[in-house]
Amino acid sequence: MTEKTETAIRTSEAVFIVDDDASICEGLSNLLESVGIRSETYSSAEAILEDWSESNAGCMLLDARLPGMSGVEFQGKMQKLGIGMPVIFMTAHGDIPMVRKVMKAGAVEFLTKPFKKEELLHAIDQAFAFDRKRRQDEEILNSIKARMDTLTGREREVMERVTAGLLNKQIAAELNLSEITVKLYRRQVMDKMHAGSLAELVKLCERVKTPSRATGDRA
Amino acid sequence: MQRSSWRGLGFDAEPLCGRDGARMISGYHANMTSAASERLSRLVIEHGLRPMAIAVCFVLVALLWTFPLQHVISYPFVFLFFGAIMGSAWFGGMVSGFMAVVASSLLIGYFFIPPFFSAAIAKESQSFFAAFILCAIAITVVSSARKRAENAIREAHDELEFKVLERTAELVRSNREIQESERQLRLLTEAIPQQVWRADAEGRIEHCNQHLRNYTGRNVTELAGESFFDILDPEDAPLYMQGWKTALATGGRFEVEARVRGADGIYRWFLARSIPQRSEDGKIAHWYGIHIDVEEQHRAQQNLTVAHEDLARYARTMSMAEMAASIAHELNQPLTAVVTHAYACREWLNSQPVNTDKAASTAEKIVQESTRASAVVSRVRALFRKDAQVRESADMNRVIRDLVRVLRDEAIRCEIPIRLILSADLPKLRMDPIQIQLVLRNLVMNAMEAMAQTAAPRELAIRSAMHGDREVLVSVEDRGPGFAPEIAQRLFEPFFSTKPEGTGMGLAICRSIIETHDGHMWAENSPHGGAVFQFTVRAKQ
Repeated sequence: MTEKTETAIRTSEAVFIVDDDASICEGLSNLLESVGIRSETYSSAEAILEDWSESNAGCMLLDARLPGMSGVEFQGKMQKLGIGMPVIFMTAHGDIPMVRKVMKAGAVEFLTKPFKKEELLHAIDQAFAFDRKRRQDEEILNSIKARMDTLTGREREVMERVTAGLLNKQIAAELNLSEITVKLYRRQVMDKMHAGSLAELVKLCERVKTPSRATGDRA
Repeated sequence: MQRSSWRGLGFDAEPLCGRDGARMISGYHANMTSAASERLSRLVIEHGLRPMAIAVCFVLVALLWTFPLQHVISYPFVFLFFGAIMGSAWFGGMVSGFMAVVASSLLIGYFFIPPFFSAAIAKESQSFFAAFILCAIAITVVSSARKRAENAIREAHDELEFKVLERTAELVRSNREIQESERQLRLLTEAIPQQVWRADAEGRIEHCNQHLRNYTGRNVTELAGESFFDILDPEDAPLYMQGWKTALATGGRFEVEARVRGADGIYRWFLARSIPQRSEDGKIAHWYGIHIDVEEQHRAQQNLTVAHEDLARYARTMSMAEMAASIAHELNQPLTAVVTHAYACREWLNSQPVNTDKAASTAEKIVQESTRASAVVSRVRALFRKDAQVRESADMNRVIRDLVRVLRDEAIRCEIPIRLILSADLPKLRMDPIQIQLVLRNLVMNAMEAMAQTAAPRELAIRSAMHGDREVLVSVEDRGPGFAPEIAQRLFEPFFSTKPEGTGMGLAICRSIIETHDGHMWAENSPHGGAVFQFTVRAKQ
């Protein structure tokens, strides 16, 4: 990862604040602005879902009690929709079962209003780090997928068998090719996938097969 | 053979004996092959041989008697032959009678009319002989007719008797059936686990099942008429009587719930139902009634009501708690905004170079949010203003009685008798009866709890009386341990409680309710031991 891409990721990061109380939203965005963090505010879970874009990066600062869909319900919905962005909960009066539930569902932090600036910023830092890791994983996965997409059908067949541990001779027999042709395909696969060794190729394939490692880690 | 048949006839002397004789004779001919010949022979026997045998017998007897008599007294004893003819006609019928006439005429002509021992008849005796024959024929006709008539009468009589017997047997049988079905019906009413009765058209109980007798400990005569109302709870009796009288008058259905005293003196709730049974002309013949024990339902219903009231009471305190939570939330929101803005303001002031615009606008926000927080506080204060008070004209004694009725079961459970000493002439008061009942309930429940640990005699006394000219005083006295004098003043303070799980709000709320009714509330230790809680409510002007 180069320095340049890292800053690009950082600048695109934002805190998505969802609270039905406009003054809270305003106060939070003011505070975040004063410490140099971009923020967007929404008055309800439905509103943020409407404007949601896949490229959003950063974290969510979610009030547990929202009109309509509650914060806890929204968290469940995000998982269903495949939105992997980390969530920080805030509430005026949270009970222990609620805290346990949202933390189990993968929330980064649970803040009780009014909270200290340090608590908030620490939680945001943590969430951003999670999100960065998540997006990096996603990016790598995407690049592997993109490389895979360049493979022809025959090359893909050969790759599947190579990573499954078959010998060239066996692959040739299975696909009804000569051993020389298999070797040729194999070299092309290694080139296209930017894999230096067979072990690396296996790793790449494995990664594609087990998706969303980033969220898996947190849960 | 003829003789035996004659004996059978003569000795039995039954009108139907001919049949017997015929059967006997036909027994001898049983081996005859043809049924027709059997019938023929029976016909011959019936109408030929039998009359002839009878006639021959009688005439022979008459002849045998006449000879010696004639020998002793020189007189023609021909009248004996009249007897023989009469007997033959009587027993053997017309045919036999004529046979006897013929035989007698021949024998008399031969033996007793000169010239004797000759069939010839002397000229001077011809008229006598003719008279004899005429008389004999007349006797035969009369005798046989008489016999026939008698036979007919006897047959009719027998038939009648047979029919009477048959009818009697039928009656006995149907009587027995009725008795059996009645018995089964009674068994059925006994099998119903409820009290069943039947009353006459005037509503007097005529029959009741064992359950009713067992429960009330009275028999049918003790239940009949007005005496039935004695075992009703005095409170329910008028309603019951009225309902029953209306039903009797209109012939409609009767359905009333009432408490009925059992043999053990304990009242239980019953649902009484009755329907009239009408005779064919539409008049009411009977009333059939059932008393269904609904004590359990009533108790459950009452518990439900109590639970409901408790719930309402808790809901009131709950809503207070929720109000507190909502106040906290409403205050928390602006406070959170204030805090975050204040943090931001500090950041703007700390930044290099100092961002005064941002800091100033943020400070402005802080002012706005703080104002909002104070608005929340004044709104809450407005909530507690006592503008919406309920005041209606109500009877304090009624409020007390209603409450005691609701708490009756609870008191029984705790084995605490409740004594009411209510002044009869209290003025109506302007008050919120629900709130006053809430206060009373609180005091009564406290008193019961206070006595939960004390030994007998337990008693809870509720008094109502005038207090001065313009106030009504209500007191609730228990026989519990009372309270230490030094806490007398603190009893009504909020959050002060002597109970480990008490909220300390009960008496505080009670006192504030009484104060909104322009009254006072205070507590004393009773001279009998225990505590007296009393309050006054101002009478309406």
